Amino acid sequence: MDIPHHQIPGKKAIIPYYAAGAMSLVIIGLLTFISRKDFGGHFFQPHLLAITHLTVLGWGTMVIMGASNQLIPVITDQKLYSERVSIAVFLSLTIGTCLLVHSFWNFELGILMLTGATLVLTAFILHAVNMFLTSKKAQKNNIIVDFVLTAHIWLIVTGTIGATLLLNFRFGFLPADHLHYLKVHASVGMAGWFLLLIIGVSSRLIPMFLLSRKEAKKYLTAAYYLINGGLVLLLIEGMGLHSTRWHVVYIALIIGGLLFYLVYIRHCFKSAIRKKMDAGMKQTFIALGVVTLPFLFLMIAIFSYSQTPVSIITAYGYSFFAGFITILIMGQTFKTLPFIVWMHLTKPEKLAQLQPKDLYNEHLVVLQTLIYLPGFLLFLSGILLKLQVFIYAGSLLMLGVSVLYFGHVLYVISKLRK
Amino acid sequence: MTDIVITDPQYEDKIRLMQMLSLIRDPELELNIIDLGLIYDIKIDKEARQLIITMTLSTPACPAGDYIRGGVELMAKEAFNGYHINIDLTFTPEWSADMISEAGREELGW
Repeated sequence: MDIPHHQIPGKKAIIPYYAAGAMSLVIIGLLTFISRKDFGGHFFQPHLLAITHLTVLGWGTMVIMGASNQLIPVITDQKLYSERVSIAVFLSLTIGTCLLVHSFWNFELGILMLTGATLVLTAFILHAVNMFLTSKKAQKNNIIVDFVLTAHIWLIVTGTIGATLLLNFRFGFLPADHLHYLKVHASVGMAGWFLLLIIGVSSRLIPMFLLSRKEAKKYLTAAYYLINGGLVLLLIEGMGLHSTRWHVVYIALIIGGLLFYLVYIRHCFKSAIRKKMDAGMKQTFIALGVVTLPFLFLMIAIFSYSQTPVSIITAYGYSFFAGFITILIMGQTFKTLPFIVWMHLTKPEKLAQLQPKDLYNEHLVVLQTLIYLPGFLLFLSGILLKLQVFIYAGSLLMLGVSVLYFGHVLYVISKLRK
Repeated sequence: MTDIVITDPQYEDKIRLMQMLSLIRDPELELNIIDLGLIYDIKIDKEARQLIITMTLSTPACPAGDYIRGGVELMAKEAFNGYHINIDLTFTPEWSADMISEAGREELGW
């Protein structure tokens, strides 16, 4: 008897993304430790730009794209359109990120940086095309698919604004201050790409993992229109009118959308049959709690009418990426990766002796959370209070966790060799 | 989901099959597929030596779907050697968490 693995994308379409993402996290830990003093100053400087882009591209986007090659077919009930495109995306994103991060670190605004940006943007477009073609036959009027596909449109918009900014560095053709466009670039990436995609994927996975009996999708629809409405306003005003006078309106729309999503999650949790949560799910819920932090800093920044302290802006970005995104991905890694590896290990001739939970160490996931959280909070407090000792201790703890996580990911992947 | 009454003339055969099928566990939920409610119906035709199992998956694109379906075929062949096994995969009615048995719910901590 042969079991056709027709719904399972090949290993090469997924595993390299997880490995590269885990390696990026270690490099982020090292670069953050080396540049810890820079976190006390202005956020617009070479080392922080390099670390931010490595976090966003080499870590967040890398793992999310790898996972989406596995999860989008599940969400849309379709087969992945092309594995070859996934491999091309991986290569383009990896090389592009390396060139871009190297150029930012040394602040070399030359051909390497432009090549890196072009490769990254190419990866975005190819990945988006692959996801759109995968979802082509998906059920219409599916709000979760809408979230996922719209997130990919915003990803391309983010990449295009980023590439435009790099050209503006050299040729200076944009009318407003460079920092103005940087804010638009970052906001569209955070709310348009990360937030929409995470909302879309988690809205399918969380009720599935928890076995929720009630999914209040009307809240998701409200969240979708509010966040996208806010993003469209931001884009029109920020890039078209070169100002941010209406920023309170679109930030309120985005926060409103986020609140509707949290209400949806609350309904899923309250109606869940599966009350016992593993460490990966617990970490996911911690991340959903942490997402309130960057929005809190954003509110402080908006309502401090005088000069907003630079530390608040740094804390805003830091808590979004090192807090929300990193905690979420670290937790979800051990929900998705062991399962992916397990699917490639199962043989048609006999029932599986091992289950996905046997392919990783649950205690290490708990330890990872227990070390990362204080590390993150110490570092964040260090930024806000300008205390180098906190930043030093926090960066050491987070570097330790990144090494632990990297080793754990390699351990799970190594099971494929048996 | 499958209800087997003791007055069913094939009661013992069906119970034997259910016991074999309960060895298959959903890899994510760590619950066996009988308690999960994935088996909708079992028909045993002894004269034609044919076994028809109507089953579902938690979602049409369930990544473990091939494994679960293959496992059902494997266990059915073991329980009914020499029978023609026919697996009818259906998504009507759509599976929902309400189909989980009492024992399954207890195991999941509900």
